[in-house]
Amino acid sequence: MQSVTPDLTTRVGNVLLKNPVMSASGTFGYGLEFMPFYDISRLGAVIVKGLSLLPTPGNPPGRIVETPAGMLNAIGLQNIGVERFVNDVAPRLEDAGAVYVANIYGRTIEEYEAVARRLSDLPALAAIEVNASCPNVKEGGIAFGSSPEGLSGLTRRVRAVTGKPLWVKLSPNVSDIGAIARAAEEAGADAVTLINTIVGMAVDPRTRRPMLSNVTGGLSGPAVKPVALRMVWEACKAVKIPVIGIGGIQSPGDALEFLLVGAAAVQVGTANFRNPNACVEIVDGIRDFFVREKIFRLDDYRGKLLLREK
Amino acid sequence: MPHGNPRFVHGKILHNTGSGIFYRMEVAVPERIDFVPGQFAMVSGWPGNDPLLPRPLAIFRSGGVRGKAAVEFVYKVVGRGTALLSGLHAGDPIALTLPLGHGFEFPAGDRSWWLVGGGVGFSSVFPAAAALEEERADFEIFLGARTRDQLPPGEWIPGGAVAGRVHLCTDDGTAGFFGTVAAALRDRIDRRKSSGPSRVAILACGPHEMLKAIAEFALPLDIRVQVSLESSMACGFGVCWGCVTAIRDGEKSGYRRICKEGPVFDAREVVW
Repeated sequence: MQSVTPDLTTRVGNVLLKNPVMSASGTFGYGLEFMPFYDISRLGAVIVKGLSLLPTPGNPPGRIVETPAGMLNAIGLQNIGVERFVNDVAPRLEDAGAVYVANIYGRTIEEYEAVARRLSDLPALAAIEVNASCPNVKEGGIAFGSSPEGLSGLTRRVRAVTGKPLWVKLSPNVSDIGAIARAAEEAGADAVTLINTIVGMAVDPRTRRPMLSNVTGGLSGPAVKPVALRMVWEACKAVKIPVIGIGGIQSPGDALEFLLVGAAAVQVGTANFRNPNACVEIVDGIRDFFVREKIFRLDDYRGKLLLREK
Repeated sequence: MPHGNPRFVHGKILHNTGSGIFYRMEVAVPERIDFVPGQFAMVSGWPGNDPLLPRPLAIFRSGGVRGKAAVEFVYKVVGRGTALLSGLHAGDPIALTLPLGHGFEFPAGDRSWWLVGGGVGFSSVFPAAAALEEERADFEIFLGARTRDQLPPGEWIPGGAVAGRVHLCTDDGTAGFFGTVAAALRDRIDRRKSSGPSRVAILACGPHEMLKAIAEFALPLDIRVQVSLESSMACGFGVCWGCVTAIRDGEKSGYRRICKEGPVFDAREVVW
């Protein structure tokens, strides 16, 4: 019996993706680093490392520490800056046939605006993802992303300077994720991405020092998945715009859970560190699952979580 | 020297056996891995998510042809990851990303190479010794350890049978030179005054304090020093930016990735 290839295409607002699997910002470099491993055009989209207006040196060493089933990082958004990205990296991503999205951050709203404006010059750029949630840099967005008012102001200002689809990446370090997601939606975001890392800490009992130079860092990996899934589910109920699910996804089954609670697409982050092929293996695994389960279209599965009737 | 693109491969352990405080593990891989001495692999084989991240191990040896290729590692148990690794057996599957990083450089020229391994650091300089041995180059090996039992077995040393080539150093004087490797190197320089130190090039891997001590005495003597640095790593191939060290860049300095721009750096560029 011949099997039909399931249709994995999904829409994030106006952006059509060939499948729902994207790389997560900060875990995929600028995308080019993965070209020795596989054809990056096979991904739904490549989300590049957070870009700032000027190159940023990042935090001193003592940037990562492993924790049970996860890791803490406090990289401090080290990056090459938007200008080098536009001139040196973007053309190579285009040559590779990749759908790519730029993640951005600024120390001030004006910097966010300037980065978004510069990126809008790239015809092939699929979307801009606003980092309103980096926990490791005071000015890395968390100042804007931890309250509905702050997030609304930032989103509105960036919205006004770019015609690109605008995705806003949300922090889990808030008390009401639904309210935060709604603030982004009302301010003009085309989609929300969640969750960014959960603020955490690790200490060396012998030296009495924090393991990270920044003292606290962002927790990622399988340890955060249940928290992420719950927050994505809540966000999906709170907004009408697409929700992109992220947090601890390392297998096709993990990705399917996020799609089931309503995510339009998913991002794979820390799993890339352990297995450079993680993203494409998840794409293939979702396809195999749909073939086995006789599901022909992603849209027939997405958001179809079955809840017990009250 | 051949330099392959990194790839992610599933291998099978051929043997993984302890020798003193070191383990030597050979892994069958689908095809031959060409590497530059000093390059490394990210290795994981234990089941489950804890620890989550693979461990960086220097590539000790590699050979064979497609279908019969193998790669070898030497490691010491330092934490949970390497402890779990040491519990794996022949036949167990193991995942490798390799070859990674920027290895040692061997600029042409008539010179003596001094290869320095502190602790398990020999695992990254022995491949350099093997390459130099093949070139019939002039080289000596300095090995440092806390005590006699923590030195690698003599038969592991490439070209180690040549008289006067291998210098052992122990902190407690139980074997060879009584003192640090850096002190032994200084001693060797003094005895070599006739031909001058400038024709010597040092390749070193070991504890940070050892590398720093070597750089501090050797650089002012105009000796070229390449050091292989260590760090915890998440990815090993340049995308997480977790393993950086401060490197001089003209008047300023910037953070460079030990996994990508390193692990081998020119000691003059390292901000010690």
